[in-house]
Amino acid sequence: MSTPARRRLMRDFKRLQQDPPAGVSAAPTENNIMIWNAVIFGPHDTPFEDGTFKLTLEFTEEYPNKPPTVKFVSKMFHPNVYADGGICLDILQNRWSPTYDVAAILTSIQSLLDEPNPNSPANSLAAQLYQENRREYEKRVAAIVEQSWLNFQDEDDGEEMKKDT
Amino acid sequence: MEDKNQENIENKDINQENKDNNQDTTSPEYDPNVNQDELIMAQEKQIAEEIKAKTAMVGTLESLSSLEKEYSHDPVYSSKVVTLMPKFSNVRRTRPDGNCFLRGFIFAYLEYCIHHREELSRFKKYLEGSKEELFEMGFPKFTTEDFHDMFMEVVSDLEGSGSVERVEAVCNDAGTSDYLVVYLRLLISAHLQKNAEFFSCFIEGGRTVEEFCKQEVEPMYRECDHLHIVALTSALGVGVRVMYLDRGEGATVLSHDFPEDKDPIIHLLYRPGHYDILYKA
Repeated sequence: MSTPARRRLMRDFKRLQQDPPAGVSAAPTENNIMIWNAVIFGPHDTPFEDGTFKLTLEFTEEYPNKPPTVKFVSKMFHPNVYADGGICLDILQNRWSPTYDVAAILTSIQSLLDEPNPNSPANSLAAQLYQENRREYEKRVAAIVEQSWLNFQDEDDGEEMKKDT
Repeated sequence: MEDKNQENIENKDINQENKDNNQDTTSPEYDPNVNQDELIMAQEKQIAEEIKAKTAMVGTLESLSSLEKEYSHDPVYSSKVVTLMPKFSNVRRTRPDGNCFLRGFIFAYLEYCIHHREELSRFKKYLEGSKEELFEMGFPKFTTEDFHDMFMEVVSDLEGSGSVERVEAVCNDAGTSDYLVVYLRLLISAHLQKNAEFFSCFIEGGRTVEEFCKQEVEPMYRECDHLHIVALTSALGVGVRVMYLDRGEGATVLSHDFPEDKDPIIHLLYRPGHYDILYKA
């Protein structure tokens, strides 16, 4: 059944394909247009560079009136990302506007990576290290960047195995 | 976000106290593994669902005596309803979801337009031009266009087969009705930002006009304040008279016209925190 939310999500998807924004990609899951998988590439010249971070976006029928729930699936170490991958970002909460689409959401999260807001910490250790011990912070970030490749490796292996059987 | 953050901090304080009091188990505990933002959003969602189930976005035409009944045990309000009765015959209730002013406004305006075709043409022309203006001001083209096109579709449709029933259907269809509200919010935001110098002195909390728009105007379900109403009515050039039903002394009902130099074509009833549509007797 086509609902306003689904119609708009199809529109968002078409735009992502026709005019893909740099450094992010996303697509609805095969069986459910309300759940999307996305990848954000760590921005250049930042500690997150070369990271390939997976996320999920979960929409409700109230989209675009209300924002989707966006979570990192890849392990993240960032002042504004909760342990469960949830993201503390104003446009996903009280500054959400129906004019944001999937591309805008993902590019905002990509910018957040290198421009954390230490005043609203979701991960207090990351916030503290970001402010007081940048070297250690970058070391921790480098670790999750490496881990993000492993995730992709696992998945590739998994697919290979599926083909074999 | 700052408010939410504040709550997180408060919760942390409670947690701290718990430790100091040797684990008082009755106080709510802060669990750092729980995403507090999501808890708050889940609760807000539940409240919104309850309101949604109870009221239509724009209700049916009711006699003003329904208000009289509602306030039969309230001497202050009922005396004011009596004051309203000779001037107004009917009321149409809107859903109290934070969009009530805009929903009431657009319903009453479209209903006026189907009886005043020249106003409908004027409005259509205004809408056509508004899109480019929003683009120039930096509103995202791809999504703004979607809201705009839906609005144009509604107006064109009313030009052809305009009837009150049609306006009722449009304003109660979730997808369409919300899209109209979103676009009105964008028009308000644009008008405030275009006249930022003037409006900046009315904004509280040391925020810029742009910040105010991002927090209080563009998000859905954010209530309309005087500033929103001044901006919308001036941008569209549509006069609105608001009748204020409140706890003020006496039976007089204060009213205010927006913008002040326009004859009102729409009448709204204000009760603290909520707007409904009024019909002249």
